[in-house]
Order: sequence, then C-alpha cells, then structure tokens
Amino acid sequence: MTSLVRVLLSRLLTSFIVLIGVSMLIFFIARVIPGDPARIALGPNASPEQVLVLREALRLDESIIVQYGYFIADLARGDLGISLYTNRPVTTDIAQFLPATLELVFVAGLMMIFIGLPLGILAARYRGRWIDHTVRLISLLGVSAPSFVWAVILMMTFAFILPVFPIAGRISDSYTIPVASGFLFIDTLLAGNLRAFANAGWHIILPAFALALSGIGQAARLTRANMVETYDKPYIEMARSYGFPEKRIANRYAFRPSLIPSLTIIGLDFAAMLGNAFLVEAVFAWPGLSRYGVAVILRKDLNAIVGTVLIISAAFLIVNIIVDVLIAIINPRIRHSQRPK
Amino acid sequence: MTALVLEIINLNLSFARHGEQTAVLHDVCLSIARGERVALVGESGSGKSVTARIVLGLLGELASARITGEIRFEGQDLGALSPAGRHALRGTKMSMIFQDPTSSLNPAYTIGAQFHEVLRRGAPKISAKAAKERAGAMLAGISMDQPDRVLGSYPFQLSGGMNQRVMIAMALANTPSLLIADEPGTALDVTVQAQTLKLMRELVEDNGTAVLFITHNIGVVREFADRVYVLYRGRIVEKGATHAVLTDARHPYTRALLAAVPRLTGGGIADIGEETDVFAAPMFDHGPGAEARP
Ligand SMILES: Nc1ncnc2c1ncn2[C@@H]1O[C@H](COP(=O)(O)OP(=O)(O)O)[C@@H](O)[C@H]1O
Ligand SMILES: [Mg+2]
Repeated sequence: MTSLVRVLLSRLLTSFIVLIGVSMLIFFIARVIPGDPARIALGPNASPEQVLVLREALRLDESIIVQYGYFIADLARGDLGISLYTNRPVTTDIAQFLPATLELVFVAGLMMIFIGLPLGILAARYRGRWIDHTVRLISLLGVSAPSFVWAVILMMTFAFILPVFPIAGRISDSYTIPVASGFLFIDTLLAGNLRAFANAGWHIILPAFALALSGIGQAARLTRANMVETYDKPYIEMARSYGFPEKRIANRYAFRPSLIPSLTIIGLDFAAMLGNAFLVEAVFAWPGLSRYGVAVILRKDLNAIVGTVLIISAAFLIVNIIVDVLIAIINPRIRHSQRPK
Repeated sequence: MTALVLEIINLNLSFARHGEQTAVLHDVCLSIARGERVALVGESGSGKSVTARIVLGLLGELASARITGEIRFEGQDLGALSPAGRHALRGTKMSMIFQDPTSSLNPAYTIGAQFHEVLRRGAPKISAKAAKERAGAMLAGISMDQPDRVLGSYPFQLSGGMNQRVMIAMALANTPSLLIADEPGTALDVTVQAQTLKLMRELVEDNGTAVLFITHNIGVVREFADRVYVLYRGRIVEKGATHAVLTDARHPYTRALLAAVPRLTGGGIADIGEETDVFAAPMFDHGPGAEARP
C-alpha cells in the first residue's frame, strides 16, 4: 500500500505545481486581452472618475506582478474576488453554477464506463460479428462530429420529433427543491422527493449522452483493440486449455489486463468533457458553469474568468489523480513495485 | 476397456488460407497407454503444437481449420461428443503445460487466484480456503518453499523456474489422466529446466498420469520418454521405444535430427539439410487402425 500513497503524493504535488502554472497563465492572459474591465463593467455612461475609482479598487494600475501577489494572497484565504458581472463573490457564483456542470460530466463519465467498456468487451469477444461492426459504427459516429452537434441531433430527434425526453433544463418547473448542495441528485434525495430525482435523471440523459458519445466510442474501440491483442497472449490460451468459461475469460482474463490503457483514455476524455460541456450546456439550456463562463469572458470580468478557469483545471487534475490511483490499484506491477531489498 | 488413454487415428488437418487449403497434418497416428510417457519430436513448424491443440479441442473452434480423423480419449470417440462434453474434459481429465511459464500465467491475478480457478474446474464449489490448502499442498509436493508466499504473489514476482513449477502443479491439480506438455521450459535456464523436468517426472509417475511430451530436445527425450514419435512436415516418419529410436534410427530425418543435436541440453535443432524426398518417404504403413493394434 505504501507505493499507492507514493503515487498519490507525487500526483498531488505535480497537480499543485500545474495549478500554480495555470493560475499565472490565465491571470496574465486575461489581463493582456484588450479592453478596460472597469469601463466595461460600469458601462459607457460612467464618468472617468468613477472608472478611476473602480480601477483603483481592482488594483488595475499596479504592476502585473504585484496584482498577482495580491491574487495569491486572497486565494490562500479562499477568496477569488468579486465578480463585476454578478456583483457577488466569484466563489459564490461558482458554488451556484458548478454543481450542474459536474453532475452532467459525472453522468457522462458513468456512461463512458458502463456503456463504453462493455461494448468493447463484447466487440472483442465476438469480433467480426454484428456486435463488433455496430461498435465500430458507434465509435465512428462519436468521433465524426463534436459533442454539441450530437447534442443538437439528439435533441431534435428524441426531444422534438419523438418527444421521449425533455427538451431542456435540469428538472421540470413543477418541482421546487430546496437547495442544499446544489447537486440535484443529492438535493432531491435530501428532500425525500423520489419523483423529482427521477425527473432530474430523465433530464440529464440526453445532454450527458451527447457529451459522452465520443468517449463511449473511444473507450469501446480502445478496449476492443487491447483485448484482441490480449486474446493472443499465452495466458489466454492457457485459460482456454483449462476450459475456463469463455465469458469468464472475456470478463476477467482478457479484460483486466486491457483495462489499464482504457482507463487512461477514459480519464483524459473525462477531463476533456469539462470543456465540451460548455457547448452542450448551451444547447440544452443547462444552467451550468458555461453560461456564466461565456458571460464573464465577454465582459472581461477578470476575477470570474480566473476563478472559473482555475476551478475547471482543478477538476481536471482531480480526475487525473483519481485515474492514476485507480490504475495503481488495478495494476499489480505498480501496487507491488519491488524495491531493492 | 482399453488401456489406451489417447489414440489418434489418421488425423488430418488443413487450414484455409486465401481460399486455398494448406495441409498441415497428414494421417497422423499416435497412441499413449495409461501412465505412459510419450515424446513427440520434430522441428519447428512440423505440426506438434497443432496436434496437441486438436486433442484438447482448442483448434476445432477455429473456422479456418479443417480436421478429419478420429481421436479417442479413454476409449471414447471425442468426435461424437458435444462441444460442452469436450469442454468438460479440459482442465479436468486432460491438461496442458505451455512453453513460457511466466507469460502463460495471467499478470493481473495472483497465483492463488489462478490456482483457485483451476481447482474449480475439478470441484466447482471449492471454497477459497480449501483451494488455498490444496494449492499449497500441490506446491509443496513439487518442492516449493513457502507455498503461501507463492500463492499470494503475482507471476512477475516469481522466477521463471518457480512459475514453471506452479504450472506443473496446476496441470496436475485435478489429477488428469493425460498431460500434454508443449515444449515446456524451453524459455528457461537449462539447469532449472532439468530440475523441474525431474520433479515433473516423479509426479506423473506417482499419479499414473500419461504424458504427451512435445519437444525438439533429444536430450530431454532420452531422460523423460518411454516411447518416441518423430514428426516431419506433418507426417509421423518414425516411432518406437526411446532407446531403440535413439540408438538405431531408421529414418533419414531422425538420423539427421540426432546428428544435429549431440548436446544433452541443446536448446533446439540446428539446421538440417532439405533432403525432403528421403525425409518424407514413409517408413511404415500407417493405414487405418494401424495404431490401434498393439
Ligand atoms: N491458426 C493457424 N492458422 C493457420 N496456420 C496455422 C495455424 N496454427 C498453426 N499453423 C501452421 O501449422 C503448422 C504447424 O504449426 P505448429 O503445430 O505450431 O508447429 P510446431 O511443430 O512448431 O509446434 C505451421 O506451418 C503453422 O504455420
Ligand atoms: Mg509449437
């Protein structure tokens, strides 16, 4: 287990360094984009004096290094500053909008794992048969168009032409759920409202699927490719020679060694979905971080831009850490990495 | 009741390749009596492994393979069995040892977990605890120290020789009546190979297990086998008691084989001239039923 702790510690350290780097980069990039944030925030009718006061309050006239120093000092206290767009602390805004996005990405991630991997296993086990061809078609479709295009197609087909799923939003208006965590799946359960829970589930299927489609295809294709390679390994022939059931050979003997590369890709896709979610959210009017993100970028709302990017990067890094730890757990070579005795 | 464990009669095999049939085995006949150790020797590509795989029923599932002939196992015609019936024999009544022990064990599971799976073939309901005890006893029986530590290890944590013993212990765990060893331990150190073969010999003698020993190492044949079959390009070109064949080889190919490998522990066969016509000439009649006659 010590090597597991080692993996975790080293990933935490590198992630921390990456976050510092990201914070610098976005901090400087946001400031070199042309346009005066104070002027944009106050509008064209504000007097030059008002603009000057706000610039002072935002410390915009200090050198950029000093500004960054203030930013880091605030960040250490968990303060990302005030959004000029909403006039509220950026942390409050993020706490309001992030859960919807995380919920969407999380469900899409589950779809990738629980649809993509089994499809890959089936395609490898029955290679050359119809299920294999179907999986190839799905993965082709998945990569042939970006997820927001699939969002539009799925919405048109399954919400508009065939009204099976709701067309937009997180939950029907008829439900009023007291906000506790911001995560609807948690809040509806806390409220003891199972119908609202099911309704939220019904709403998330289409956008999550649109977001997950390319990942499902990739996970399936990669799992298939690795398993087909694994099927040629001597230990599979040995398993066959012992008459282990074919299903068990597929699900255990061939799948487990193939899981490691698949998991790596799923981790990357999972993180990429955080970015793709922006457009899918726009299509499905999903009240997530995307609307907020777009609005603050257009208004050059510096604190909000930096805060949003930082949070998304942190989520990205956390997902990668989880994947690395999972791989370490699955791969006995890492878990039992021998040390010189 | 016949005393023969395995009887292969006029086995032919061809593979469909690019719409053409490529013949690999030609009227192969071979028999093994209960508890007998029989070697099948021949150069690489002569058809040794496919013969073993056909006996186990592993090749029948291949769409490109066309197999004819009769295989009788403990007196029963395997061709008359259902796929499920053949499947039931694998890992229980017949088992196989492969060339490279370390890559033949699954890297993702411990030896103990894989041993449990093997024992489950013989006793489907065996508990993890009972499996561990039985596996430990089997490993101790093949002179392995600290069987518990081995069972908790992954294949990559053990040496090739240890994995080899694990494979032998697994192969004999369900007391099969036939063990097929396909060039076992060729990937191993020669002394390790010799040691494990000695242990294996003791075990199969104790259990009365018949062995089909596939090799191209004449030294090993001398040590291990009661009788020898020589396979050349898919044909049995010579057969007989080990001593007789090794001291008085009749067939030109066998002579070339013996001349090419004077070493006891040679890894393989050195180049043999392409005197195909002489080599391919049949030395004895192996018509239908020829093998069945004692
Ligand atoms: N699955 C297969 N498809 C086509 N040809 C095969 C297959 N398996 C074996 N062969 C061919 O059969 C011949 C005998 O192979 P094999 O039994 O593995 O030889 P060896 O005596 O070295 O064990 C070889 O020429 C090989 O190319
Ligand atoms: Mg071979």
